[in-house]
Amino acid sequence: MLCENCYQNEATFHYTEVINGVMTEHHLCSSCASKMGLSGFGDSLGGNFPFVKLLTGLFAASNRAGEEADNPMLHVKCPKCGMNYQEFIRVGKFGCAECYDVFGPLIEDNMKKLQGSIEHKGKRHLDKSESADNENKNETASKSVSGKAAEKKSKSKTDILDEIAVLNAKLKEAIELEEYEDAARYRDEIKALKEGGRDA
Amino acid sequence: MLRWFEENGRESDVVISSRVRLARNIRDYNFSLKLTDDDARKMVNDLTAEIGKLEAVKDYSSYDFARLDDYQKMAMKECHVISDFLLGQKVAAGFVSKEEDVSIMLNEEDHIRIQAYASGMNMEKAFELADKTDDAIEQAVSYAYDEKYGYLTTCPSNVGTGMRASYMLHLPALSSNNRISGLAAEVGRFGLVMRGVYGDSSRSYGDIYQLSNQITLGISEKEIIDNLSHIANQIISQERALRRQYVINRKLSALDAVYRSYGVLRYARKMSLKDAMLLLSQVRLGLAQGLVMTDSETEFCVYQLMIGIQTANLALMNENELSEEELEEYRAKFIRDNLPVIR
Ligand SMILES: [Zn+2]
Ligand SMILES: [Zn+2]
Repeated sequence: MLCENCYQNEATFHYTEVINGVMTEHHLCSSCASKMGLSGFGDSLGGNFPFVKLLTGLFAASNRAGEEADNPMLHVKCPKCGMNYQEFIRVGKFGCAECYDVFGPLIEDNMKKLQGSIEHKGKRHLDKSESADNENKNETASKSVSGKAAEKKSKSKTDILDEIAVLNAKLKEAIELEEYEDAARYRDEIKALKEGGRDA
Repeated sequence: MLRWFEENGRESDVVISSRVRLARNIRDYNFSLKLTDDDARKMVNDLTAEIGKLEAVKDYSSYDFARLDDYQKMAMKECHVISDFLLGQKVAAGFVSKEEDVSIMLNEEDHIRIQAYASGMNMEKAFELADKTDDAIEQAVSYAYDEKYGYLTTCPSNVGTGMRASYMLHLPALSSNNRISGLAAEVGRFGLVMRGVYGDSSRSYGDIYQLSNQITLGISEKEIIDNLSHIANQIISQERALRRQYVINRKLSALDAVYRSYGVLRYARKMSLKDAMLLLSQVRLGLAQGLVMTDSETEFCVYQLMIGIQTANLALMNENELSEEELEEYRAKFIRDNLPVIR
């Protein structure tokens, strides 16, 4: 099979891209693949290539954004690491844990298409300090929680999570409607909730 | 005790190894993209100290890039102890288990990458090793973890479980029948990715391929392993069917190819990496199919030679920088010295 880009070399790099539910297969030679920034041979954690186009939609938006200097999205910036919107959509990677709060909602749709889900399932990290706190609280709260480790949350924490989910949805909507002041407010509220949840 | 690449495990006619990598970040530092060299140094020192205290890594050796030269680092990469990405880092350190099956890399694309290998088809063991190591480290540090997204990673392609499981497969029959491209496209439909481990442009050297999961979010570790193993088993049976056909229908050609390869490996005085990988692949196939045998009772693991003939390993063994010609000379000698007699 020949490379779909140069039609000269044998295609050695294959991946399936899913955009809007449509699967497209790609076949590239290794030199074209590396030119496109897709990782070639080697043994890095690997498998990053479909995500190169993760933000395809946003890339288009970024070009438009570049043209209009007053686009408020240009001012969205991660308070912790300083990653800004333009950089984020260019590299498609997160600069710190907080970036997930700032930019996560923007790419949820794409993430869902590529990962198939946006809800983690599997091993859970039990932060020692956090879980100790929760256990103390749980003594007085519901003792009837099922034995599953996954259910080790106190009720108040679940409520906060629901609230965060709602706010995330609102945040996304606000961004889509280009109501950036609202978006910034939702973002701050989410942040406050998360921090509050952590100390609680 | 033998290291994972020195022994043949389950389904070793096709499966060379099983590997699990877990990506983890700690809460207090920016991710690699936004981590300054100074902070990276601090983070690496912190983690080295914290992890170094753990009972679980008591027998591990530790390394720091500050004290290694380029060849040593490259040789670690060739032995699969560290990743390509880590090799490119200025600041990095880590821990390696005695048998080299568990490796903890610090300041990779994520702050911590835990890697575990098992020989042959044994993802359960690789996962258990990695998971136990993760449990131990979790006691010492606070990971960047989110109730919704799971383990937070630099790249959205790793978020969730942060887990990449891979089988390293020897597929000489599928690749000589030009079935690799089709297969690679097909596994993509199942959220998997397949690619050559060695080689540069058109074809993988040594017919060695890596099959890994791509999806990390919304799927449990066990599901990742089950999906991957299910597809791996199908590839294994396709490879075996083609091998059987070849050995039955073209026995003389098959024998001839193995013995010719062995002859060149046994007597050549110069050997390029590409040729060596190609010829060793033939010998591996011959041994796996019982076309030829060694004198020894224990099965010989050809893959250890494939690691030994890589450039930095040869340079390190000879304790100096080698010219291209010397490299080929030493490669041929290394093979002559280490390839068992085959009949
Ligand atoms: Zn090309
Ligand atoms: Zn950030």
